[in-house]
Amino acid sequence: MKSVWLSLYLPRLNTDRLIRSRQAPEGRALAVYTKDTGAFLLTGVDARASALGLRLAMSLADARAIHPKLAAVEADPDEDARTLDNIAAWCERFTPIVVLDPPEGLFLDITGCAHLFDGEAALRDQIVTRLHAQGFGARAAIAPTPGAAWALARYGARMIAGDDLKEALSPLPVEALRLQSEAASLLQRVGLKSIGLLLDKPRAPFAARLGEHAMLRLDQALGRATEALTPRRPPPPVFALRRFLEPLFSVDTILVAAGHLCEDVVEKLELRGAGARRAALHLFGVDGRDRVIEIGVSRPERSVKALLRLFREKLNLAAENLDAEFGIEAARLDIVQMESVRGDTRLLVNVSQKTASVEQVNAIVDVLSARLGAERVLRPKLVETHNPERAAGWRPALKDKSIQTKHKAPRDGVMRRPLTLFARPQEIKAMAEVPDGPPVHFHWRRVQRYVVRAEGPERISGDWMNDELTRDYYRVEDKDGRRYWLYREGFYGETEEPPRWFVHGLFA
Amino acid sequence: MSPRPASFLVTKQAQETKGLLEKMAEQPLHELCPGRPGAEMAALGCALAFAASWAGTPGVIWAGEEGVFAEEGAPYPVGLTQYGLDPAKLIVIRAQKRDEVLWAAEQGLAARGAVVVCALSGRGKPLELKATRRLLLFAERNGSHCLLVRPRTEASAAWTRWRVDYAPSNGEPDEIGQPAFALELLRARAGAAGSRFILDWNAHERRLEERYQEKCEAVFHPVARRQ
Repeated sequence: MKSVWLSLYLPRLNTDRLIRSRQAPEGRALAVYTKDTGAFLLTGVDARASALGLRLAMSLADARAIHPKLAAVEADPDEDARTLDNIAAWCERFTPIVVLDPPEGLFLDITGCAHLFDGEAALRDQIVTRLHAQGFGARAAIAPTPGAAWALARYGARMIAGDDLKEALSPLPVEALRLQSEAASLLQRVGLKSIGLLLDKPRAPFAARLGEHAMLRLDQALGRATEALTPRRPPPPVFALRRFLEPLFSVDTILVAAGHLCEDVVEKLELRGAGARRAALHLFGVDGRDRVIEIGVSRPERSVKALLRLFREKLNLAAENLDAEFGIEAARLDIVQMESVRGDTRLLVNVSQKTASVEQVNAIVDVLSARLGAERVLRPKLVETHNPERAAGWRPALKDKSIQTKHKAPRDGVMRRPLTLFARPQEIKAMAEVPDGPPVHFHWRRVQRYVVRAEGPERISGDWMNDELTRDYYRVEDKDGRRYWLYREGFYGETEEPPRWFVHGLFA
Repeated sequence: MSPRPASFLVTKQAQETKGLLEKMAEQPLHELCPGRPGAEMAALGCALAFAASWAGTPGVIWAGEEGVFAEEGAPYPVGLTQYGLDPAKLIVIRAQKRDEVLWAAEQGLAARGAVVVCALSGRGKPLELKATRRLLLFAERNGSHCLLVRPRTEASAAWTRWRVDYAPSNGEPDEIGQPAFALELLRARAGAAGSRFILDWNAHERRLEERYQEKCEAVFHPVARRQ
């Protein structure tokens, strides 16, 4: 597909930001300056200052001489970068592929997106007018290459280039090629002021004088060389975007829209023979905020119904957080992570009961994880180690597809380990008959418990690296039949204090 | 009236219990309450034993309130495996609120053949009868089981309600035997309530076995024995 790029140029980003956030005195010409090798140079002027004849790179002293009432604010490049990033985030409602072009530009890959906004011209106008409404002066141009779009956005009279890039770029000055300043000034000096003059000249002498970089820039602008741009966020392999004529307010209407997006996405996934593992639904509000609803599934999914069900759970849960007071104007569904589907399960005629129920459980895990959080829906994880705490843990069931069953139930049917384990062993007051024996009675949870049966000790040496003491574990049963997993830390006589006893877990 | 021979009692009771347990396995919703404060693990252990013996292909889903886990300890996979639960077919849900536990249980019941152990704490408002009816419906419709473990006895749609306490194990004096539970049937939709017996959990066979009657009478907790 022929790619289409939009270059956005925010010529007064720094002053616009200050005026917008009311950090500049009202009603006065505003300039932003930066300290450069001892001199204060202007790096930004607002429209008023510009009209007074102030220009960029002018020294602050000169500017003050021209206009003594000038309000000057020191530059804050970090804040400018943050603002640019916020604008980039806002632009993601038009396309998922937004590239930062600091200090004051953005590239939007609008390939295949423009038709959703009634064509390229309408999309361009919409972006510019809406940015203007938010207080940012912007110029935008559309061209088949990022380089050409960049040139037109800054120097062009016509903002949309057709296929004939040479014609579109010829009248523009050479600076429009994103050249390094030495190369640009060299070209100016030899009289090659426009790109058109450069186009027909032999390449080799220029390459030698200007450097390969300049020629590369020319080629990139003309589409002879491809330009690798890194999007602000990794672009989803598959996405679907919808814009709504009227803002959506209710969860129900959003779900209908999400259903359409799921259909679009599933169609694309089927072409690729893949299913979604993780997906994110972006809801772009009229207020400029981007609300993201993420879902994950335990195996590649490409059923519209299943995806929609997960979004429904999440949306119903987050309905109040959605805060869509002014409505949702556009939505995009990104497949953040996908995985190839081995064999189409839906085509199988004989689905055995076993596979069916495993599928069912996976689907349930997805729904549960979506609503309760993946860290609350768990599968056991067993590790071969003698340390009881490290021998087992829990992992989110969503992540755990293959389960290793290293631990088999012992053949004798003896339960050597308790059903539950306390996160922190609970200290008890225990009384043992012999130093190396189980306690005769112990006090736990305000009740004295008399041991009638005991098995042990099972000695588990502590990790010497962490200064852990050896533990002697006992399984004991009190006279009510209640069973505990106790341990003594260390030995009698080892220290002056008697060793401490703990309840570590409970048997049924 | 002369006492009947003990052996007769044993066989009769054993058959009745066996029949009752078999019938139980066909019914979707059961409720287990701890016999007294401190016997929560007995009720939970008994529920897990039922679950392990009934679980079909989807396995066991244990949905618990975070408060229960804090009080009785967190599920320990090694112990659960030794208890007879297949770790590959076990899902534990640690929910923060009771409503979430009930919702998770309903979702889990959608898997045909699954056994959902739904463990609630005694805190908060009484559980509505409607909530237990929903569990019953979900389980009935999908051919799954639900075991509701909760300390309070309130109106419920369960087919049976049991009071579960620990029973001394029947091993040798120097060893801990199989887990054992003293059960009392508080309510049954069909059949006689009030029967009491002791079940030993045979983890290897995944089977609850009844212990002989004469040993049984002596171990019931005094409160539970009073009629």
